[in-house]
Amino acid sequence: MNANVQIRLSHLSRSFQEGEQRHVVLQDLSADFAAGETVALRGRSGSGKSTLLNLISGIDAPDSGRIEIAGLDITAMSERDRTLFRRVHIGFVYQAFNLVPTLTVADNIRLVLELNNVEEAYASLRIEELLAAVGLANRSASYPDVLSGGEQQRVAIARALAHRPRIVLADEPTGNLDDSTAADVLTLLDDLVREQGGTMIVATHSAKVAAFCDRVLELQNGQLLADSGHG
Amino acid sequence: MPVLYKASFGYLLRHPWQLGLALLGICVGVAVIVAVDLANSSSRKAFLLSMNTINGEASHQIVAGPGGVDENLYVRLRVEEGVQDIAPVITGYADVNDQTLQVLGVDLFAERTFRAYTLPAAGSSGARFALHETTFRDFLTKPGAVLMSTAAATSLGLSGGDNFTITTAGKDYPAVLVGTTNAHGSSAAIGSLLVVDIATAQHWFNKVGYLSHIDVRLRADQDTAATIRAALPPGTQLLSAESRTQSITEMSAAFMTNLTAMSLLALLIGTFLIYNSVSFAVLQRRKLIGVLRALGLTRRETFALIVAEGAVLGLVGAALGVVLGVWLGEQLLLLVSQSINDLYFRVTVTDVDVSPWSLLTGLVVGVGATGLAAIVPAIEAAGYRPQLSLARSVLEHRSRRLLPRIAVAGLVAAAAALIILPLSGTSLLAGLTAMFLLILGFALCIPVIVDAASRLSAGFAGRLGGITARLAVRDISASLSRTGVAIVALAVAVSATVGVSVMVDSFRVAVSAWIGNSLRADIYVGVPGGSLDLELVDDIGHLPGVAEISSSRRIWLEMPAGRTRLLVIDRAESGHGGTELLDAEPEATWRSFEEEGAVVVSEPYAYRNDVGQGDTLVLNTREGPQAFNIAATYRSYDANQGTVLMSRRTYQRHWQDDAIDSIGIYLAADASLQTVMDRMRELSQGRQALYMRSNRDLRDLSLQIFDRTFVITDVLYWLAVGVAIIGILGSMLALQLERAREFAILRAIGMTPWQLGSMVTLQSGLIGLISGLAALPLGLLMAWVLIDVINRRSFGWQMDMSIAPSFLLTALALSTGAALVAGLYPAYRAASARPALAMREE
Repeated sequence: MNANVQIRLSHLSRSFQEGEQRHVVLQDLSADFAAGETVALRGRSGSGKSTLLNLISGIDAPDSGRIEIAGLDITAMSERDRTLFRRVHIGFVYQAFNLVPTLTVADNIRLVLELNNVEEAYASLRIEELLAAVGLANRSASYPDVLSGGEQQRVAIARALAHRPRIVLADEPTGNLDDSTAADVLTLLDDLVREQGGTMIVATHSAKVAAFCDRVLELQNGQLLADSGHG
Repeated sequence: MPVLYKASFGYLLRHPWQLGLALLGICVGVAVIVAVDLANSSSRKAFLLSMNTINGEASHQIVAGPGGVDENLYVRLRVEEGVQDIAPVITGYADVNDQTLQVLGVDLFAERTFRAYTLPAAGSSGARFALHETTFRDFLTKPGAVLMSTAAATSLGLSGGDNFTITTAGKDYPAVLVGTTNAHGSSAAIGSLLVVDIATAQHWFNKVGYLSHIDVRLRADQDTAATIRAALPPGTQLLSAESRTQSITEMSAAFMTNLTAMSLLALLIGTFLIYNSVSFAVLQRRKLIGVLRALGLTRRETFALIVAEGAVLGLVGAALGVVLGVWLGEQLLLLVSQSINDLYFRVTVTDVDVSPWSLLTGLVVGVGATGLAAIVPAIEAAGYRPQLSLARSVLEHRSRRLLPRIAVAGLVAAAAALIILPLSGTSLLAGLTAMFLLILGFALCIPVIVDAASRLSAGFAGRLGGITARLAVRDISASLSRTGVAIVALAVAVSATVGVSVMVDSFRVAVSAWIGNSLRADIYVGVPGGSLDLELVDDIGHLPGVAEISSSRRIWLEMPAGRTRLLVIDRAESGHGGTELLDAEPEATWRSFEEEGAVVVSEPYAYRNDVGQGDTLVLNTREGPQAFNIAATYRSYDANQGTVLMSRRTYQRHWQDDAIDSIGIYLAADASLQTVMDRMRELSQGRQALYMRSNRDLRDLSLQIFDRTFVITDVLYWLAVGVAIIGILGSMLALQLERAREFAILRAIGMTPWQLGSMVTLQSGLIGLISGLAALPLGLLMAWVLIDVINRRSFGWQMDMSIAPSFLLTALALSTGAALVAGLYPAYRAASARPALAMREE
C-alpha cells in the first residue's frame, strides 16, 4: 500500500435481501483515499453512498472485498475489534445529527472521550476547545432538543472530532440545514478536519458540498463511475 | 456517573411514569415474597420460642399415651434410680377473661436445671428472671397460686395478690396472682404463659396422678439414658425434645411452602412485567443504542449496560419492596398465624420478627429476577447492528420470525413439565417446578396464537367497526414485539386468578359435601381444650328427646418417627354412612373396625405413609407398640397430616382411657332441638360449661374456618393481580409512547382525536380480552395442577375439579376491564397530542 493511502477499498460488493429479490448496492468497487484529503461521495438516493460509509466505518461488513485502513484489513476483524477500531479511529457525522437526547451538549461529546478512556481533565479541556471552535461555548449545559438544527449539527461535528479520529465520515451533513447554515457547518467541518490532518469522506448529492472537497467520487448503481480530480 | 450510564438512565428519568410503574411492579412482587417469608418465619419462630420456653434446658422428655405419664415413674426415677436432672411437667390451655393462655405446671424444687424464670432469687445478685423470695413462698403455699409475665398481668388487668377465675375444660377454678416476672429476654414467649404448681395443674386438667411429660436433661451421658429407658413401663418413651418440637412444626411445612409458592407466583408475574418494562425501554431506545454502537460501544458493553440498568432498577425496586414487605408482613402475620392456629398448632404471635436473612432474600430475589428479565432485552440490544436506520418493520419482522421458535421453546417447557409430573413421585418441589414450567410453556405459546388470531380477524373487525377497528386489531399483530409481552404478562396474572379461584372453589365444594355427609348428629357438644365430664355425658344420654349419642376423642400418639393423630369414635347407628370409604366395602369394613380392632385411615394419612387397605400400622399403646390392620381408607379434609380412625372399644382395650372430648346427639323424631339444648344447659349448670352447636351452626362454622384459612390465599392472589394491573398500565403507556409518531401521522392525515382515542381504547380492550381468553385454558390447567398435584402432594387429599362459569366470566371481565382502565390515560394522551410536536419529537 502506498504510504500516503489511508483507506483502500478493494473489490467491495454489498447487496441486501428485499423479499424474494436481492438488491445489489455496491459491486466490485475499488478506491484509494489519501491521508489528509477530503473526498465527496456523490450519487442519487439509493446509489450506495451511506452503505459505503457504513462499510468504511465497520458498522456494516461487505459481502466480499477488502477494506484496509492505515494498512489494517478491517474486513478480517471480528465485530468486536471492528467496533473498537471504529471507537478510536472513526468520527461520524449524520444528516439527522443522532445526538443523545438525554445528555447535555457537553456530555454528548464527553461520551466519546469516555469510551476512549480519555482522562477527565483532558476531556473537559477538549470539550471546551471544541465547543469554542463550533461556536457553542455557552450552550454546553443545554440539551439537544432546545438547539436549532444548525446548532445540533455543530455539536455532532464536535462529537465526531472529539477523539481526533484519523477518518471522519459525514453522511449528508448539511441535508437538514438551510443554505446559509449548511455553508457555515461545512466550512467548520472542513477547517477542523484539515486542522487535525484527518481524512474526510462526505456522502452528498449537493454540488455545493462537493465543491468544498479535494476530490469527488461518483457512485451509480453500485459502480464507481467517475473519479474526477477537483480543485 | 459515567456519561454512558447517564445517557441510559437519562431516558428512564425522562419517562417517570414508566419508571415508576416498573419500580412499583418489582416493589410489590418483592414485598409479597418478603411479607410471606416474614409472616411464616415469625409464626414459626414464635412457636419455637414458646416451645423452648416451656422445654427450657430439657434435652429429652418422657412421654406416654393420652392419659399421660404415671407420676410414680417420676418418683421411682428420682428416688430409686437416682436420676437427678428430671422435672415433672403438666401443660395445657386455660381461659382467663376470654384470653387463652398456656399453663405450665411445675415442681419448683425440681426446676433448677430447667427453667431459670421459675427459680427463687439467689441472694442479692439473683438470677435475672428469678422470683422474689416472698413470691416463691406464696407460690408454694397459696392454693391456686399463679405466676405470669407483667405483660400478661397488665393485659388481664391483674396485679399482685388479685384473685381471678381460670377456666379449663369448661370448669372454673379460683386462682391468685402471686407475682410477675419481667423476663426481658424471652418476654414474647413468656407473655402468654401461666406458671402454677404441678399439683394445681393436675387438679385443673383432671390429671391427678399423671403428668403431661417428664423433662430430662441428659449431659452426654449414655448411662442415664439407659437407666431411664430400663425403668420405663410399656407405652412410655424417652424422646428428644427437639424432635418432638420439630415434628409439630413440620405439620405446617406444606402450608408454608404453598404460601411461598403463591408469593413466587406474584414474583413470576412481576418478572414478566419487568421483562416487559425493560423490553420497552430497549425498543424505544433502539436509535440511541444504534448511536452508541456506531460510536464504538461493543456488543458486550451494550449487554452490560442494559443488564446493569435492569439491576439498578431491581435494586431500587427491591429495596422499596423490602420496606413495603415488612409492613405487609405485619398485616399478613395475623392471617398466617390464624390459619396455623385453625389448622395445625396454637401459636401466639403479635410482632413480625424482621430477620436480616428474609430481607436479604427479598433483595437478592428482586435483583435476580430483574437481572434475569433484563437478559433477553439486553441480548436483543447487543444484537442491534450499529445501523441507525433499523426500521420498526425490520424489528417486527425479526420478532415474527422468532415466534415459532418461542412457541417451540414453550412446548418443550410444557413437555418437560408433563414428564416431571409422573416421574417426581410425591415431591412438592418437583410439582411446583412443573407448574411453573407449564405456566412458562403456555405463556411462550401465546404470542404465536395472538399473531395468527389478530391477522385473521383484522378484516372481520374492519367490516364491523370500520378503519378504526381494523387498525386497532391489525396493530396488535403489527406491534407484536410490544403487545405480545403485555398480553402474556396479563394472561399469566389473570390465569393465576382463574387457577386459584377454581382450586379454592373445588376445594370448598368438596369440603362442603364432606361436611354435609360427615356431620349427621343434630347437636354437637364439647369443651375447649379438655374432656367432657363422663357423668354429664351419661345424663345427657338420658334426657328426653335424645335418641342416640356418638362420641369422639382426638389424641396425638408419639413415636420416635413422629406423631400420629388418632380419632377415637363410638359411632351412632344413625351416623352410619357419614364416613365415605374409598377403597373397601362398608359393611365388612365397619364390622372389622368394631369387632376385630381394625383401623380406618384418612386419605392424607394413606398418601403420606404410603399405606392402604390390607396394610398394617404400628401404634404405641399403653402395652407398647401394637400392629393394627387397616380396613379401609376414608375421605377426610380435616387434617392434612392424616388421621387414624379407631373404635372406642379398640382404643379402650389398648389405652385404658375412657375420656370423651365431644359428643354428637341424635334427636328423636319428635324432639325439639331448642328444648333439648335448653335442657342440656340446665343439666350442665355448675358442672361443666359446654360448647353446644346445632348441626347447621357447626357446618357454617366449619365453612367459616375453611374460608378463613383461604383469606391469605385471596390476599396473595389479589396482590398478584395488582402487580399485573400495574404492569399492563405501564405496557399500555409505553406502547402508546412508542407509537407517538404513528398517531401523529394518523392525526395529520385527518383522523380526529376522538377516532384516535377510540382506536387506542379499543386496542387496549382487545389486548385485555385476548389476554383473558388466553388466561382461561392456562388458568384451568393451573387449577388442574393445583388440585391434582400440588394439593395432593402438600396435603394428601383429592377432590374433583368444579368449574363455576362465573369465575371464567370474572376473569374475562377483570382482564378486559383492567386493560381498558390502563388504556384510558394513553388514549387521552394519544388523542390530545399535537401532531406537529409529536412528529418533531420523533
